[in-house]
Amino acid sequence: MMLTEILAGVTLLAAIGLVSGGGLLLSSRRWQDKGDDVTRLINKLLPQTQCAQCGYPGCEPYAQAIASGEAINKCPPGGDSTIRALADLLGKDFVQLDESCGTSSAPAVASIREPECIGCTLCIQACPVDAIIGAPQMMHTVIAAECTGCELCIAPCPVDCIDMISLGTHEESAPAHPDHSQPCIHCGICMEVCPQDLAPQQLLLYKNSTAIAESLRLQDCIECHLCDRVCPSQIPLTAIFKNTKHAVLEQKRERIKAEYIESRFSRRESRLIASTAKSHKRPTKAETAALLASIKNGQ
Amino acid sequence: MPDAIFILISTIFVNNFVMVQFLGLCPFMGASQKFDSAVGMAAATTFVLTLASAASYLVEHYLLIPFDLQYLRIISFIVIIAALVQFSEIVIKATQPLLHQILGIFIPLITTNCAVLGVALINVNHSRGFFESIMFGLGAALGFSLLLIMFAAIREKQEHKQIPAPFQGAAINMITAGLLSLAFMGFTGMDR
Repeated sequence: MMLTEILAGVTLLAAIGLVSGGGLLLSSRRWQDKGDDVTRLINKLLPQTQCAQCGYPGCEPYAQAIASGEAINKCPPGGDSTIRALADLLGKDFVQLDESCGTSSAPAVASIREPECIGCTLCIQACPVDAIIGAPQMMHTVIAAECTGCELCIAPCPVDCIDMISLGTHEESAPAHPDHSQPCIHCGICMEVCPQDLAPQQLLLYKNSTAIAESLRLQDCIECHLCDRVCPSQIPLTAIFKNTKHAVLEQKRERIKAEYIESRFSRRESRLIASTAKSHKRPTKAETAALLASIKNGQ
Repeated sequence: MPDAIFILISTIFVNNFVMVQFLGLCPFMGASQKFDSAVGMAAATTFVLTLASAASYLVEHYLLIPFDLQYLRIISFIVIIAALVQFSEIVIKATQPLLHQILGIFIPLITTNCAVLGVALINVNHSRGFFESIMFGLGAALGFSLLLIMFAAIREKQEHKQIPAPFQGAAINMITAGLLSLAFMGFTGMDR
């Protein structure tokens, strides 16, 4: 009696388990995994400097790592804006940049002090986007327009003749006119006077979220200053919108540049894979350091 | 049919699972960060809850009772729910990879969403019929979805507001949830 009861229970559970397991097997065959899409979306947000400061050999490997759970704060060139964009995409919380990967600095390009260059080609091999040209025993030079400022060429240089030249920041701070403004009281007067039927009050609220600001037709603002004049809180609305527009433009420009660099990087990668040259894989940090030490010791 | 509508309205508003019975609070807090992902989560939970209440009815009445094995109720319900959750995870991963990435662990966690098992067990305890069980499950799921989406929308609005430092993060979310719960207490008068 006891035995049959136990048997019945075991059989029932096993049957339920088998049936649902079989169903799952069939459905997983039917719906294939498409994890690559996420990697592509993440990769689009990375700055594509290919600097490897995150500990991965390039931006796409880091994107893959993020897709499988790596931290999002390991990209110094991207800085806060990239972390924020990633946090938005993945629904995670914003975290400060991981200082162990490096610090976010102003955009810069490498420049070779040409009289000192000995023509060793080490920097050419290190450059992830083929932005350095030159030949063995000949002077090298950096194509400034192609340089991503990744600083990967600095460590291999045996004579330390590569400098980083800061490009200067494009940041335009808010105009310096006296600011008597008070917080927005949501009176809505600005919405009535706007000749373009925009909602300046909403635009002010979302001034830091460029995507939302754009969906509120930020680009339609003709900067007529009517909203400034009627605002009882004296908020310099037009100046703020100008800044937001500028930020939007800047983001688009960076996006285009990143895509271009990415294409150069991927072309280089495929070339390296295709060639059987000994430089087919990028040296790890430790290998670079060892190579550097041996050269500096005069071996 | 009027009965079905009554069950639906009562489970969505009067006896809302999240706000009145306090079941399923984990995804309510965890998966409500973004409106879009909350909608996805709500859809997945609705799917699982409705099917789970139907499947648990079938298992209870055609397997457990005939073989006199009611003591295996909880474990067999859990197996069914887990299978349904896995199925929905496979579908989400294949069709909406980004949503799958955002929700992450919260999709498998639907298994342990107490609202799902709760609905199945309450159905058995009240000895509801097949159709009534499904209606109850659907109502519970819609109530959960309503709350989750509402809460996510509120949280998205809050992100752009200036909140005093001591209230930022979890604190303001708890307060908001509490106020929502108070609002839902207003429906208690609508009992039969």
